[in-house]
Amino acid sequence: MDNSSVSYLESRKLVKRWNGPIPALVNTFLILAFFYATWWIFQDPRGLMRMYTPYVGYMVCRWLLILFIWLAYIFDFWPFKRSWLNKTHPLIKGAVLTLVSVAAMIILMKGFFVEILGNFGIAYFNPDRLMAMGITEFYAIEYAAEAIMMFAAIASWLSPSWVVACENAPWQKLGQPARGITIVLVTFFLSMIVYFVTMHSHMAILFYPWQKFTAICPPYWEEFANTVSGNFHIAWIMCCTVVVWLYETIWERYPFNLIKHDGLRRVTSFFGIIAIAVALCFFLFYAQDLVWGSTIRGTRRLMAPDWRWLHVGEMAIFWLVPTLFLNFYCNNWPNKFSRPVNVCIRTLLTAALAVVVYVIYYKTSHLFLGTQKGFSHPQQFPMIPMIWLINIFLINVWFMDGWPGWKAVQKTEAELENHQNEVVASDVKWTQGIAKGLGIGLVAGALLYFAIIKALPWVGANITIIK
Amino acid sequence: MSTNRNNISRRDFVKGAATGLVAGTFASMGMYSYSPWAYSRLPKTQRNQQDFGTCRSVRVTNISETSWFNNAHLIGDIHEAGGLLVNQYTLNWAPLANGKGSGKGSYEEGISTIKDLLPHDLEKAWEIQKKLSLHPENPGGYSCLLEVEALDGTVRKFLLDTGWSYEWMDSCFKREGIDQMLRDQEIEALFISHEHWDHFWGLPVTMKYDNRIPLYVHDGFYKEGLQYIKDSGYKGEPVIVNKPVTQIAPGMALLKFDVPIINRVFGETSLAFNIKDKGLVLVSGCNHQGILQFADFAFTNLKYDNDKFYGIYGGLHISPFEDWDPKYDDLVIALGQWGFELIGCNHCTGHLTAKKFVEAGYPVVRGTARFRSASEDYLGNGDKITFG
Repeated sequence: MDNSSVSYLESRKLVKRWNGPIPALVNTFLILAFFYATWWIFQDPRGLMRMYTPYVGYMVCRWLLILFIWLAYIFDFWPFKRSWLNKTHPLIKGAVLTLVSVAAMIILMKGFFVEILGNFGIAYFNPDRLMAMGITEFYAIEYAAEAIMMFAAIASWLSPSWVVACENAPWQKLGQPARGITIVLVTFFLSMIVYFVTMHSHMAILFYPWQKFTAICPPYWEEFANTVSGNFHIAWIMCCTVVVWLYETIWERYPFNLIKHDGLRRVTSFFGIIAIAVALCFFLFYAQDLVWGSTIRGTRRLMAPDWRWLHVGEMAIFWLVPTLFLNFYCNNWPNKFSRPVNVCIRTLLTAALAVVVYVIYYKTSHLFLGTQKGFSHPQQFPMIPMIWLINIFLINVWFMDGWPGWKAVQKTEAELENHQNEVVASDVKWTQGIAKGLGIGLVAGALLYFAIIKALPWVGANITIIK
Repeated sequence: MSTNRNNISRRDFVKGAATGLVAGTFASMGMYSYSPWAYSRLPKTQRNQQDFGTCRSVRVTNISETSWFNNAHLIGDIHEAGGLLVNQYTLNWAPLANGKGSGKGSYEEGISTIKDLLPHDLEKAWEIQKKLSLHPENPGGYSCLLEVEALDGTVRKFLLDTGWSYEWMDSCFKREGIDQMLRDQEIEALFISHEHWDHFWGLPVTMKYDNRIPLYVHDGFYKEGLQYIKDSGYKGEPVIVNKPVTQIAPGMALLKFDVPIINRVFGETSLAFNIKDKGLVLVSGCNHQGILQFADFAFTNLKYDNDKFYGIYGGLHISPFEDWDPKYDDLVIALGQWGFELIGCNHCTGHLTAKKFVEAGYPVVRGTARFRSASEDYLGNGDKITFG
């Protein structure tokens, strides 16, 4: 096996340029500086381009995420040659690959969604059409951007899932660009189906009277979710987006990579991610009820079910930031224990760090991001800065090989073999000890859950995050 | 050999336990969190009903509900400035514009152009600001007069909000006789529902006639807002409302809600009245907290006759720019369950919402669409409603 037979990301090993925590500290500092500078230029309501409201900035950062995933994960950097990737300075690579992604994003958003779909298929994708029918420019842009952005939210779960869970099957042996085009088309098609089932009715209710002849109104989820808003779907879809990355990074595809049968492993991984995401979604919704009290249908913001569902997605994205940071910049710490113990520690650690990020965000974001103070302002979208930050992580690690703290070196043949063996992990075998531990662990997990839900009402009554 | 076997077994046990811990936690999340058992754990609402007395009736006169005359201009200016989170004092609207364009205003520069004229020469001040501001013909304002009849028949008057345009509000005050009431100090207090331009920036108009009127503002007011109170010529000390419930008169209470609002405004205060033998009436400026949150807070914290929601009045803040979102339909669907007998709405409620209320069969009190109010579905400018 040689380096050209695996993807670029799999073929390289990132090596620290300096000892200890210095690379992580240097990269963190530079990333935060770049984040703040670009936030000010593009997003900040006090800054230069002010794309934060309406949804334009949100749409851009979601689609950038997808384009990065497509370029690195699905197209394996095609049409860029492996030799160019290996030899070019990370700063140049980062700039070129980012600009190519931005260009592709603009073509997709403006060309496909606004001009083609918006003019020849579904009017609400084109703000000009909405304005021509009498909707204020601001809301015409907002509605169109919301629809285009929601499509990206679905794709940002399905696209990486096809690589991570389905292992590119059944096209894993195809060369590029045939494999990339195939997987993009398939995931795009699936995203469209999920979009129609989850968001099209939401968009149809936006307009008066309800567009009953083109969408299911009232939607099927109304009774279950206690709202007609599509935010209910944003909740579980965002959880899927987060869980697919948990599974890929800090969980190292454990435990589904214990399944030896290819088909069974892929199907189990794909639906397992959804099952875990739905569990997380229900918990995060319930956690809010425990802290703030039961929702009241029809009310606004903090007490409204539609806002709570949206906030589920927002809370989930707070978990993704420390997860990717641990994986990218802390070498997926810890590594010294067995895989299940490492996974367990990382899960608990990143969940705790997510709470810290959440608290810091709501305490300070109105001061330095130009957002509004409070949890539930209709224009307070923590997903935007979190995804903006994640995008910068991806540019740094995928496109720039972790520069300046890290540099890419080619993996040895032995390392490549080892990586290949990880697709089916063999370090956990069914024994009596495992079975006994698993049983007790399951009980402990249930107790941990009940301890958390017992503590949450106390947290709500005694801890004030925003004064 | 046996030690080795024990070690392996212990390692296996830990592997299993670590896997089980994570799996068990997620499994519990999925199986329990959204189940009926989980929700049976939530405590029932404990009502701590504060007795704030009773009044016989409250009559509301709508001085102006037309806060702005053109939605496209208003939201277009906000869009151009950078969106819904841009600080309102930088929008470059009269009377605090500095002439530098959208999103480039500053309170200090804006007020410096007219400070010496407040509140005695509002005509000149507004003329100066018209030249500096964006869409100077668009401002209107929200304000209403509340006449509260006590059980002994005496009537006490209060003002909720003071509008926006000096020119427009002064003409509205004169139309409804508010100018004379203020001069005669018949109006006991002015409540500012929140810091937004259309409810608050017309303050010098009230100051022109009574600059010592007791003034109540939410404790979320920014330093610019507090400074504007001084710069408007107010000679009293504003009451900073920092309690959830403040009784104003028998049967009348001021309620405080801490909510983030667009254009960097924080917090809203609204009013509640207990009408003898009828029930609770809720009155709001903009209702940014949401009408059902308002009602739920009152349900939990106030004692009122018949334990019945009787009426609502005010801007209900649902589709102020004729925008829509499915979550607003949740409100339209849910409102009927609360049993209000009289719904008097206008201003930021939105025409589309009023239309949907009417279609849902709710008891919406219609108006006359006079004095530039746009819809008969509303209680428009100059219209009155009596609860009780």
